[in-house]
Amino acid sequence: MKRLSAALVVVVVALTLAGAALAGATTYAGPWQWSQNQGAGSSFSSSWKYNYFFKNGSGYDATVTFIDNVTYSWHATVRNTSATTYTYWFVSNVKRGHCRANSAYFWGSCVVVN
Amino acid sequence: MVGVRMTRRRRAIVASISALATAIVASSVVAGQFRSPDPEAFHVGLATGEIARVADIAAGDGLPGRGVFVQATDTGQICLWDAPSASSQQRQGGCNSVDDPLGGSALSASLAYDGGPAVEDVRDARLIGLASRDVATVQVLMSDGTQREMRLRKAMLESDEYRAFGYRFKRSDLRGGVSPIAVIAKAATGDEIARQSTGIGG
Repeated sequence: MKRLSAALVVVVVALTLAGAALAGATTYAGPWQWSQNQGAGSSFSSSWKYNYFFKNGSGYDATVTFIDNVTYSWHATVRNTSATTYTYWFVSNVKRGHCRANSAYFWGSCVVVN
Repeated sequence: MVGVRMTRRRRAIVASISALATAIVASSVVAGQFRSPDPEAFHVGLATGEIARVADIAAGDGLPGRGVFVQATDTGQICLWDAPSASSQQRQGGCNSVDDPLGGSALSASLAYDGGPAVEDVRDARLIGLASRDVATVQVLMSDGTQREMRLRKAMLESDEYRAFGYRFKRSDLRGGVSPIAVIAKAATGDEIARQSTGIGG
């Protein structure tokens, strides 16, 4: 019985660790091939902290930002050609992640994380 | 009685083996996230590796100074960050493969700004970057045709030498609708060796 309990504990801990690795990340656009000036937005939430554009390689110009739901201003905007374009903005305001391709013909996804 | 005892023992052994197998599978899932191209798993790797300051962003217009940091993650990424400090989570920038830190160019620049998307509404805009060692100057071409010269600092990534820079755009430029449109790297001869488009609102 003790062995069985110990085994169950191991199973629970292992599954918890596996789940924690992916907790809180939401892909809100892609993966697909992007067109120039194509944009996408996540749902609105007060818990989003990180927003990134994950591309299939370097050299593709992209922008990520957060847009609040009151003034619709852009916050913590980042633009670059790195393989992953990444930003962080944590305030209690409700906001959504927004991403935009400034170049064309590349594969990528946009992800928000709380 | 013996049969019952054997059955219990067998169950315990089977349960232990199942638990071990589950643990191995679960661990491999976790470990796999660090190598996987899964977009949602990318974020996990950013908690690993070393981070070093390679340039500064000067305080100005009532805003505090920041730093330019390079992070080499355990997942094979080289990330360039604009952040208040090395330990801050408030990192803005990008990551490339450790095999190609500049992403196939002689220059990798990253623009970060708060406010907008109209240029006049931007409260703070900063540019950071890394360039190859054969880059002698980096200039930012502004929307009014003027240029801003970046101050380059030597930066070492493992055994390779690069040039790093950080710059904060003047608020007077932004209020006047003047914004960066391209970053240009030149050799000592004056020849342009790399150009990266940039801009606010795009």
